[in-house]
Amino acid sequence: MNELALIIEDDEDLADIFAEALRGVGFEVERVLDGRVAQERLKGGRIPFIILLDMHLPHVSGGDLLTIIKQDERFMETMIIITTADARMGDMYREQADFVLIKPISFVQLRDLTARLKPKQ
Amino acid sequence: MRKYIERIISISTADPDDMRRRRVLNILMLGTLSAAVVGLIAIVVAGVFTKVNPTDFQILLLGILGTILGILGIYQINRRYSGRLAALLFLLLLTAVFSFSDSPAQLSNGRALFIFTLPITISSLILASESSFLFAFISSGIVAGLSISIGRPINIFAIIGFFMLALVSWLSARSLETALEELRTINNNLDKVVIDRTNALAASLERERVEAGRNQAILNSIADGVIVFDRKWNAMMANPAVKSMLEVPLEWFIGKNFREIIGHPKLALKSRGLLSAMIEHDTQPIGFRIEWAGKTLSVSAAQVYNYQSENMGFVIVFRDVTREAEVEKLKSTFVAIVSHELRTPLNAILGYAEMFKEAIYGPMNDKQVNMADRIIKNTQRLLGLINDLLDQAQMEAGKLTIQMAPVRLSELLDNLHSVLDKSASDKGLRLTSEIDDILPERLNGDAARLHQILVNLVNNAIKFTDQGSVRVRLFYYDENRWGIEVTDSGRGIPESDLPYIFDTFRQVEGTATRVHGGFGLGLSIVKQLVNLMNGDVQVVSVLGQGTTFKIILPLVTSNPLQANWRVP
Repeated sequence: MNELALIIEDDEDLADIFAEALRGVGFEVERVLDGRVAQERLKGGRIPFIILLDMHLPHVSGGDLLTIIKQDERFMETMIIITTADARMGDMYREQADFVLIKPISFVQLRDLTARLKPKQ
Repeated sequence: MRKYIERIISISTADPDDMRRRRVLNILMLGTLSAAVVGLIAIVVAGVFTKVNPTDFQILLLGILGTILGILGIYQINRRYSGRLAALLFLLLLTAVFSFSDSPAQLSNGRALFIFTLPITISSLILASESSFLFAFISSGIVAGLSISIGRPINIFAIIGFFMLALVSWLSARSLETALEELRTINNNLDKVVIDRTNALAASLERERVEAGRNQAILNSIADGVIVFDRKWNAMMANPAVKSMLEVPLEWFIGKNFREIIGHPKLALKSRGLLSAMIEHDTQPIGFRIEWAGKTLSVSAAQVYNYQSENMGFVIVFRDVTREAEVEKLKSTFVAIVSHELRTPLNAILGYAEMFKEAIYGPMNDKQVNMADRIIKNTQRLLGLINDLLDQAQMEAGKLTIQMAPVRLSELLDNLHSVLDKSASDKGLRLTSEIDDILPERLNGDAARLHQILVNLVNNAIKFTDQGSVRVRLFYYDENRWGIEVTDSGRGIPESDLPYIFDTFRQVEGTATRVHGGFGLGLSIVKQLVNLMNGDVQVVSVLGQGTTFKIILPLVTSNPLQANWRVP
């Protein structure tokens, strides 16, 4: 079974593009478009190998989700990639994430990055 | 009693010499009158209790009464008409009385001779200094006459004595008068000086009052709040605008120390330190603002010096910019939101175009790939413009800050090449770069902003160069500074346009004739970023030959021992 990538991104188009990039390198992709839904999702279910986390989300912010993820031991091994349009916000969370990508995020850039992260089969 | 006597002897006249003489005359007459009254009482008592020759008694009585009446008459003359006439009459009366005061033998050559000295000396004092000679003459005549009447030789020695006494009296009276005259002159001069000084002082006080009134009126009528502090930092005055602006009564400020004023609860905590630092270090940050009672105030302060260049204190001027601050905040929020909302769909366009190009959904022919490429390039251009707008908005709001961290210079150039090599080669231009050997490998700076400066300058150079090359050089300036130099072989900038090239939203061609895209923000952002880095921008351009931009920045190495310096 392929590794799971959880994409938490409220913009459907961007979520699509990110999903396509990750699928392209062999991840199984799960998409969540809302902060609150993401909060519920993180309570159980399969542990993702990568979480692509947008900071600007409806209902529950990316920052709050990041705190939840960081406090949960199940996500110890999970790679966190933060995506944000705000460079300042990106700087704020740089310490807590494995990568910070500032929007606009290129399809190729994301595909190449995640390809490097994916364990060799 | 004393007042009563003073009233009797006082004379009112303008001439001080005349007043003095008439006053002395009054005193003498008062004394003589008292003596006459005592004499009258003595004669009456003697007449009642002892046997006195009735003829002698009558003569004495009439003589004393005559003297009393004469003195009263002379007193009236002295008071009302003439001091000189009164003095002359008094002295004549005195001489006449003395002439009958003893036997002719005693008067001319005996015990009563001395009494004639009295009118001689007194006359110098109350009539005129030289009048002592007149009375010496009269007295001599009387003494001589009396001597002849009793068949005795004239007492020459007495007459010589009278004239000697007259001489002494005259001299003393004259020197007294001279001394008094001099004293009066000195007094007059002194009075004049005092009057002049008083007038000058009054005039200067009046001038100051008018000046102060005018300054106060100006201060009262300006809309900016002004507080003036003395050299001990105590508030001396505040204008009415302060009251409405700071919402504190003016009386509260007066006499209060600056440090006490900045402790006011209406002044926001973060503003206190800023305001205090501003005065203590005598600095004037541009666009300095404080929060007071929920208002945003711009503050400027200036030290005050007098003509001798001595510090007299300082003045603080407040201006209410609450409205402007709100507008600025709205503007920057608006720009931030718009930029964010624009960037998200552009990111989607970019992503989908890349997916086409990468043939995610099946093979693409060359034309399709080329079109996808164009979509990507235009989207990136649009994103670049939005970034510029966002940076500009942030800089205007004073929110853009420089984050210092170690920067590898070669990495800066690598990043630049990765971004712009293609643009240059597309136009057939060579993009070359070099680093001065003497520069350290790493130095402290804001990598992202330095990258932005380089990209903006090189982008600009590529845009305005049709053939040749664009050269980038990171150079050593002096031991405290380093620099970025971007040289192109483009068309150059006309000298008349050089002063304006860093203005926002400006291109050399002007809006109507612009052939190159962009907002004209690139160079303006470069300039502002360099300013934020405490650096300097220079530009040299020759029409038809090219342009060189030189950025000079403070050299800060992460290692104070400069262990990272390259070996030349």
